[in-house]
Amino acid sequence: MHTEAIDPPGISWQRVSPKYVTVRLVQWALGNLITVLVLCLPLVLVLLGWWRWPPLWLAILVPAAALVLAVWRLVLIPRQVRAIGYAERDDDLLIRGGIFFQRTMVVPYGRMQYVDIGVGPVERGLGLCTLKLHTASPGTNALIPGLPAAEGARLREQLSARGEARLAGL
Amino acid sequence: MTVDGPVPEPGTAPLPGKPDAGSAPVVPAPAKLPAPETHDGEWLRVHPASPFVRGWVALAAIGFFFGRDFFERMLQGRPILEDGFAGRIPWLLAGGGTVLLVAVLGFILTWYFTRYQVAGGYVRVNTGFIFRQQRQARLDRVQAIDIVQPLLARIFGLAELKFEVADAGESAVRLAYLRMDDARQLRATILARAAGVVRDPERPEEAAPEAPEFPVLSVPPSRLVGSLLLSEQSFFVVLGGIASAILSAVTENRGFYFYLIPAALGLAASYWGSFNKGYNFTAAISPDGIRLRYGLLDTQAQTLPPGRIQALRVAQPPLWRIFGWYRIQVNVAGYGAAGSNGETASRTTLLPVGKLSDVMSMLSLVLPDPGTAEPGRVFTAGLAGLDSDGGFVTTPRRARLLAPLGWRRNGYTATSTALLIRSGRWWRQLVVLPHQRTQSMALHQGPLARRFGVADLVLHTTAGPVSPRLIQAGVDEARTLFDEQAARARLARKRQTSEQWLAQVAPAPVVPAPVVPVPVAGHETGASTVAEPEMPAGPQQQEGQQHG
Repeated sequence: MHTEAIDPPGISWQRVSPKYVTVRLVQWALGNLITVLVLCLPLVLVLLGWWRWPPLWLAILVPAAALVLAVWRLVLIPRQVRAIGYAERDDDLLIRGGIFFQRTMVVPYGRMQYVDIGVGPVERGLGLCTLKLHTASPGTNALIPGLPAAEGARLREQLSARGEARLAGL
Repeated sequence: MTVDGPVPEPGTAPLPGKPDAGSAPVVPAPAKLPAPETHDGEWLRVHPASPFVRGWVALAAIGFFFGRDFFERMLQGRPILEDGFAGRIPWLLAGGGTVLLVAVLGFILTWYFTRYQVAGGYVRVNTGFIFRQQRQARLDRVQAIDIVQPLLARIFGLAELKFEVADAGESAVRLAYLRMDDARQLRATILARAAGVVRDPERPEEAAPEAPEFPVLSVPPSRLVGSLLLSEQSFFVVLGGIASAILSAVTENRGFYFYLIPAALGLAASYWGSFNKGYNFTAAISPDGIRLRYGLLDTQAQTLPPGRIQALRVAQPPLWRIFGWYRIQVNVAGYGAAGSNGETASRTTLLPVGKLSDVMSMLSLVLPDPGTAEPGRVFTAGLAGLDSDGGFVTTPRRARLLAPLGWRRNGYTATSTALLIRSGRWWRQLVVLPHQRTQSMALHQGPLARRFGVADLVLHTTAGPVSPRLIQAGVDEARTLFDEQAARARLARKRQTSEQWLAQVAPAPVVPAPVVPVPVAGHETGASTVAEPEMPAGPQQQEGQQHG
C-alpha cells in the first residue's frame, strides 16, 4: 500500500543512526523467539506422545502463526527505523515515527520540563542513546531512540538551552 | 538534566516572570536550613485536638480490643472477672495503658513537631521528630487549594487545608486540622500572596481579607438524585436486573436472586457515595478563582485560581438528554488523574449535573474570554450541533463508513482563545482546551484511517479525566490544525507573562529578561537562523556540525 506521510510538508527530517536496527533486532529476538519457543513446547510434548490434548494441527498452527508474525515484524524493522525522524524547528521539536501506524508529535521547547538520556546495554555497545522529553503531561511520549551518543548530548544541551529561553508555565 | 532553573533558596524573593511550574516546586529540604530572613509569618502549629481527630480510628480500635470482652461478659451476665483471671488484671491494665500512652504520646509528638509558616512567597511545613522533613512550596505555583471537613472534624469545627502544586501525586501541603476560621484565613492569605496582592506596607501584620465571592449556581438535591437514577450506571443495573430475572425464569433457579444481594449492596454504597459527594453543590466566583462547595456528611470547599484549568469536558449521557442535563469535568495539574479513590473523581468534577444555562455560566467562568463574537452559538453547536453549524469542521463525508453515526458530529473549531473538540452522537462530548495550556500534540494515523484519508489529533494536557482527542479529521484539515495549533499555543504562551493572576492584569515589570539573540550558522535541518540563547560552549556546536 502506498503510504503517504501525514507530517507537515517542507520539513527535512534528521534520521536516527542505522545502527539502531541492531538494537531493535536484539529486542525482537528476545521477545519473539522466546514466545515462539514457548509456543512450540506443546508441539514437542505432543510429538513425544506425553500429551494427548492439543491435536497435532493445533500444536503446529499456533507456533507457526507466531513465527509468521515474528518474521513479519522482523522484515518491518529496517523500514520502521528509517521512518523515525526528528526536526528542530524555531519553537518546537518534531518527532515522527511509524509507517503503518504513523505518529507525528510536536513538543514546544517552552513546555519541556526535563530531558532524559537513557543508554541500554546493547545501545552502549553501539555507541547509541535514547533521548526522552518530558512535559507536564503524562501523554507526551516523546522518545528519540538510536541517536549517536554525541548527537544525543548535543541535542540535550540544545533542547535545554532553548527550553530555558522559552520557559512557559503550565 | 532539568530544563528549568534552580529553585531559589529560601528567603529570596520568588522570580515572578519565570514560570517553571510543574517541575519540582516542592523541595523537601534537608533538616537544618538557615532560618529564613523574611519573618513576616510566624511558625504555627495545627490545632491540638487534630491528632485525636485524625487518630480516632486507632484509639477506637484500642478501646474496642480491650472493651469488647468486658461488654460481652456484662451482656451475658457472667462475672466480669473470672477467678483465675483476677490475678492478671493489673498486668492487662498496665499493658493496655502503655499501648494507649504510647499512642497518645506519638500523637502529641507528631503534633508538636508539625509546624507551618507562610512567608516570603513560600508556604513551609516541618514534620517528623525522628525523620524530619522540611517542605516548602512556592505560593505562586498554587494550582488549587481545598478545605476539607470530614464528619468528625466537622463536629469539632475543624478543617483540613490542602495546597496543590503541579505534582499530581500527593498534596504539596496538607494541614490537618485547623480551626475552620483559621483555615479560611490561611486560604485567604495564601491566595492573596499567590495572586500578587501588594500588602499595605504600614500595616504588614494585618491579615489579608477574604476575597468577596458571588454565587453562580447550585444543584438542587432532586436534580442530583435524578441524575444518579439516569446515569450510565443505572442503565447497566436495570440491564443486569432484567438479565438475571430472565435467567432465573428460564432455568427456574432461584439462586440468581441471592447473587444480586452483594451487588445491590455495592451499588447502594456507590450511589450513596455519589450522593454524599454531590449533595448541595454550589459554585461561586471570586477574584481568587472558582469556588466549589459540596458534600452532605463530609464537606469540601475547593478554590481553583484563574487559569489553572488545563482542559474541560462537557458530557451528556444519552438518558440525561431527556432533561437536558450535562456534566463538566476538568483537568487541574494538582489533582492528578482519577485513581482508585473516588476523591479525585469528585475533585475534578466542576459540575456534577446542570442545565444548559449552568454549563454556559461555568464555561464563562473558566474561559472569561471565549475568543469568539457569538459564544452562545458556538458552544451550543459544540454541545448539541451537527455538521458545520457554529463553524465546526467535521469528519469528511468520505469517512462516514468509519463512524456511521458520529461523522456528522466529530469535529473541531478554534476560537482565538481555545480549541473546541466535539464528538459522540449518543454520548455527547465537548472538550474545551485553552490554547496556552496545550503541552504537546501528536498526529496519529493507522492503515484504515489512511484508506479513508483521515487522521487523529491528540492533544496532551496534564493528568486528569479529560484526554482531548480529535478523531477522524480529514488529513489536510488535521495537518493544518496541527500547524495552526502549534502557532496559536506559542502565541498564547507568550501573552501569558506571570503566574500571579492579579499581577497579570497590571503591566507589572514581570517580563523575563530579554535574551540576546546570538545568530548561529544554519543547521543542516534547514531551520532558519534561530535566536539562540547563550549556548553553553563551543564544543557542542562543533559536535552538532559533525553529527547533525
